[in-house]
Amino acid sequence: MRISYLLLAWTLLCSPLARGDPWQYELLLMPSAQAAGTFNRQAPVTEIVDEVVQVDTLFTVQRGPFKLFGEYLISDHEHDLERFQLGWQVTEDTVIWLGRYHQPTSVWNHDHHHGQYLQTSITRPFLDEWEDLGGILPQHFTGILVESGHKAFGSWRLRTAIAGGLTPIITPEGLEPFDLVHPDSDHHQVGFQARASLHPGEFTESGFGLLVATDELPAIGLTAPPIPGLDHADLKVLGAFGIYAANNWKVHATWYHVDTHLNSPTASVHGAFGVGYVEAERRLPHELTAFLRWEGSDNASDVAYLKLFPMFVRQRNVIGLRWDFLSRQALTLQLSDTNTLAGHFSDIRLQWSAAFL
Amino acid sequence: MRRLLAILLLLCLVAPARPASQEVVLVVSADSPLQELDSVSVRKLFLGLPVLIKGSPLRPLRNRSDPVLDEIFLQQIVAMSQPNYDRQILIGVNRQGWLRPTEYGRSSDLVAALQADPYAVSFMWERDVAHNPRIRIIRVLWSD
Repeated sequence: MRISYLLLAWTLLCSPLARGDPWQYELLLMPSAQAAGTFNRQAPVTEIVDEVVQVDTLFTVQRGPFKLFGEYLISDHEHDLERFQLGWQVTEDTVIWLGRYHQPTSVWNHDHHHGQYLQTSITRPFLDEWEDLGGILPQHFTGILVESGHKAFGSWRLRTAIAGGLTPIITPEGLEPFDLVHPDSDHHQVGFQARASLHPGEFTESGFGLLVATDELPAIGLTAPPIPGLDHADLKVLGAFGIYAANNWKVHATWYHVDTHLNSPTASVHGAFGVGYVEAERRLPHELTAFLRWEGSDNASDVAYLKLFPMFVRQRNVIGLRWDFLSRQALTLQLSDTNTLAGHFSDIRLQWSAAFL
Repeated sequence: MRRLLAILLLLCLVAPARPASQEVVLVVSADSPLQELDSVSVRKLFLGLPVLIKGSPLRPLRNRSDPVLDEIFLQQIVAMSQPNYDRQILIGVNRQGWLRPTEYGRSSDLVAALQADPYAVSFMWERDVAHNPRIRIIRVLWSD
């Protein structure tokens, strides 16, 4: 509740500073509907949901250099305030956000967020999966995020994002982030993330970068923890990524090295694993886009931390085709073949997605 | 020979005059604090990225009163096709909550909006600006 008061105070503080500027707003709706069928199923746990109908709502209210920005997701399974940020555009290249944000070391989530229309494939790589869908890394934090860009090496651009905020907690249902609408009294700890990337121009998506994060995740209410008396997990993430985006091609690759410590009052169990993906997208005639993704991991079966996540994907191949049949509307067909730590399954998905501005 | 000269003279007299060169110009209100804007900043502005003057953001107004202006906007100002521009705007809203440029289908509405806001920036044919003392030209964006 203290954070809500803080956000309100920030709004009141900002308003006089932007005196004379008009109020402006923007509303973006991104609805989607998806059906999935699973076959060759030899894994005990596969997907949480087989059909999803959802609307991702983004809103911005801006006055001068200050803005309120939010993302609210409503689906037939959940409704959640995913992002709620108060921002101050300090300079043209630097913005400071306060509130609930998507952590910047997930390049996929930081680029696509929850709207299905803006990502080519139907599913996201498992390493970037949301907490409530079995994801292994924390994605939603509440705190401060600073995003910036600078000229570097002539015409190149250096983009940075640094953040620190309240981490999710580990529960029997998986990771649970701090909820701004229904704040809990659990003792959330603090995590920090940083990302830096170089891009050959101001307007290109192509580039490469490094990322680092350190998070402490308290464990609450676990009935069968991987170590007796688990109190919290410490995660350290080190990663690299690259994006090549040309007229008809886009290739995106990411690899994380994750160092874990599970801590109880009497012991600390260490584990380390690697996880990553490569996705290639090719635009074709007739508004078609083909895509292919490989997801892989290293040393995952030996890490106690991953025992907390029964849906963890050890390896997955994804292939699909998207058809932008109308302006801002697309149909996507996707086939996947997945190996978890406990078995194997395949699935087929069909999705309609759209954007209304 | 005399007859040939007469025909040439006649042709020169009756031939339609070549139209004056056309220019698309970047414009602001006469009392705008904006004095100059380079082409990179113009592109950023109309892609929805923040461009600040004295700490306040400029507000882009997209002139959609003429299909030819629309073509020049896409080719010369933002340098991308309409579908790609559309997608860039969606990406900007999704990632950063950037505002898309306000669109005007009638010149008179655009001129009124421009005059009312010192931080508004737009573009129009030079011939439509020439005699309006309340609008100031910042730079030429395109000429034929």
